[in-house]
Amino acid sequence: MAELTTTKLNAESHLLLDQPLLRMPYELSRRNFKTAQRYLERETSTLLTSLSSTSKASTKSPASQDQTLDSLDGMISKMQGLKRKLDGLHEEELKIHRHSKARLGHLHDLFEVKSLVDVKYDEWSRIRLSRLLVDYLLREGYSEAATQLAQEKNIEELVDVDAFIACHKIEKSLREGKRTNEALNWCKENGQGLKKGGSNLEFQLRLQQYIEMVRQGHEAGVENPGGGGEQRLIEARQHAKKFLSGSGDFELLGRAAGLLAYRPWDFVEPYASLYSPTRWTHLAQLFLTTHHTLYSLPPRPLLHIALSAGLSALKTPSCHSAYTSSSANASSSTTTVCPICSTELNALARNVPYALHTKSIVENDPVVLPNGRIYGKERLKGYNEKVGTEKGWVRDPVGGVNGERFRESEVRKVFIS
Amino acid sequence: MDDLKEQIELLERSDNLSASIADVQKAIDLLTAARAKIAADPQTAPLTLAKLHDPLKKTMDVAQKDLKPIYSGLNKYSRALEKKFKDKPLPAVENDALSSHPQLINRAIAMHLLREGQFSVASTFIDEANRNPPRPEPTPGTPNPYMQEAWGKDALNGDFNSEKLQLQFSEMYHILHELRQQRNLSPAIDWARNRTTVLEARGSNLEFELCRLKFVCLFVGRDEDGVITESEDGPLRAWQYARAEFAPFQTRYSREIQKLLGAMAFWPNVQESPYQRYFYNDSAWEEVAASFTREFCSLLGLSADSPLYIAATAGAIALPTLLKLQNIMKEKRTEWTTQDELPVEIPLPPSYHFHSIFVCPVSKEQSTDQNPPMMMPCGHVIAHESLDKLSKGVRFKCPYCPGESHPRDAKKVFL
Repeated sequence: MAELTTTKLNAESHLLLDQPLLRMPYELSRRNFKTAQRYLERETSTLLTSLSSTSKASTKSPASQDQTLDSLDGMISKMQGLKRKLDGLHEEELKIHRHSKARLGHLHDLFEVKSLVDVKYDEWSRIRLSRLLVDYLLREGYSEAATQLAQEKNIEELVDVDAFIACHKIEKSLREGKRTNEALNWCKENGQGLKKGGSNLEFQLRLQQYIEMVRQGHEAGVENPGGGGEQRLIEARQHAKKFLSGSGDFELLGRAAGLLAYRPWDFVEPYASLYSPTRWTHLAQLFLTTHHTLYSLPPRPLLHIALSAGLSALKTPSCHSAYTSSSANASSSTTTVCPICSTELNALARNVPYALHTKSIVENDPVVLPNGRIYGKERLKGYNEKVGTEKGWVRDPVGGVNGERFRESEVRKVFIS
Repeated sequence: MDDLKEQIELLERSDNLSASIADVQKAIDLLTAARAKIAADPQTAPLTLAKLHDPLKKTMDVAQKDLKPIYSGLNKYSRALEKKFKDKPLPAVENDALSSHPQLINRAIAMHLLREGQFSVASTFIDEANRNPPRPEPTPGTPNPYMQEAWGKDALNGDFNSEKLQLQFSEMYHILHELRQQRNLSPAIDWARNRTTVLEARGSNLEFELCRLKFVCLFVGRDEDGVITESEDGPLRAWQYARAEFAPFQTRYSREIQKLLGAMAFWPNVQESPYQRYFYNDSAWEEVAASFTREFCSLLGLSADSPLYIAATAGAIALPTLLKLQNIMKEKRTEWTTQDELPVEIPLPPSYHFHSIFVCPVSKEQSTDQNPPMMMPCGHVIAHESLDKLSKGVRFKCPYCPGESHPRDAKKVFL
């Protein structure tokens, strides 16, 4: 039989929520490294080609000394540019490593705590909550609040504010700006990873570009017949040939081709849906999913995961009951309000299943009042002493001092197994 | 854990871009040297340039080669990460009842921030959230979130008034600050005095506790900064305070008051008297502050600790169990039968149990509003449905004792 309660803390299995904490900086440093590698390779090859061509030119016409010096200067400044870029990446790299180290330290702290009722666990868990909150805020795009919270809680090294802000800028450019270039740039930077993951984000972005070109073509054709409209449509066709033809999704390509014939205001399916502005929302969503998969981030905020589990674990049938619970309510100071009954979470918890219990959990020495309310004997006595109930009488803590009072002899023992 | 730390330290210390940067600097040096030479003697240009090619290429190759340790370091780190999290997949949210209610989550977060006293973050957040209202996502449980959006909005505007809540919590923090840092009881006493009747009805002795602490402070002669001065007139001032303020407490707390006044006789020797624990108790301030917080939140209908904190922590504790369950269900290809109850028991520390739980000893089901606990005249309790089944409407024997009774004599009880 499983234990009903536990205070043991198994740090190893407790880390379920914390994988992204370490994954994200790893992915960032890998990307950082790839960028450095790309810069270095590119600059090396241009440097060597321009050196050979300069060398050749100077052998052919030894007189053109100025030109030689000029191209040498060019090479030097290019290399200096490379060095500056690498310096920047190096700084970034060290920053990421510092974050990783801080995070490892933070997780390590958990291994020092042995019990769930330890004050240290409480502290650790509070930091975790702040982390989860910042993660949630960032995902929802509330970056100001997220930054501020991270600063106030002093957990900037434990959260990825910058990465999320960059991500949301691109998402916003799609959703609100209806621009594809930021997202396409991002695709280019992460080309390898995207190809490995089989993402079709780039194709979808290119398709959107094509759709917009066709739309412009049709619109220009109406405003100024015989004008630039046709030209725009031809460009669109070339664009499609260049970027779209390789996809292999012939059904979709067929639909896309149909756009050349059907105008946005013809409202003929299945072409009209391609013209629809909701495609931008879809693209923004696709970008977010692609981004999160690439960086090993869970698709839903971690706060959702923690909360849905927590709400269920805490929820009891009493939390949404029509009757006031005797054991946890706001009406007397002998009980605390249950977190699920508290305003913050009550409505949220309505949709989650409640916890399973196989054994009753009641206070010691339960007694029942004539009105059917059950209390632990000690607690009932304590309450009545505090409110100064007359001797020989008992008041119901839920009813309060002005509620009904009962004779002490009417209070009965009750057996709950 | 240590393994990962080692890898990171290695990356930080040596396996980084600094080597390649140095190489690039070398290449720059080579180029500048060649340029200087050519500028000085133009005739040598072809030769110098030809000579430059090999060393330059070598240097750049080295620069690229110096990237290798980073590459392998990162790979090693990645493998260590894999190993660490091999058996810990990210939990999938199958029954995600939350994505469809972002409004409610936002409200919970706003209230959490306010009750934690982070007023500026809270107001930034509320601002941002109002500017960009969240987008509810449909989930299997709530297929059409937009239907309920209006309801969510109502909740946000109806009983959630962030400014009012902020005022209330800033009052709470002001009083707590005065209590803890300044050792100033007056704001707390004023607050309690304004709510005497409510507090009394709740059976709270907060007001008396505060006044008693005030008395103690005066008695031992604590000055404004909380330093014990043991001044001569301490007991006199305390006595005056007691005469002025203790009258309303006379009926309910006569014993405590007698103790306090009895201690007068032992001045200045209270430390060795039986009353010592009332007067030199360092945790008294923290206790009073905690009980003040609890009363304050309860009067607002809120729990004393942040529900968000408790729920997230309980969630983290519950996750390993839920993950195990998910794996078993996947293996056996079963689904859980009761949608409104979790299929496994989740062990939580006792402090995470708030309500009493009644599980019917006959049917092993938890009581609900539809199936409430019923007490038979013998004092044993079973669930309503079990009662119906056992009795079939006629006199029956209690399953736990020889007592016989009619089902109509059974009484609904509340836990």
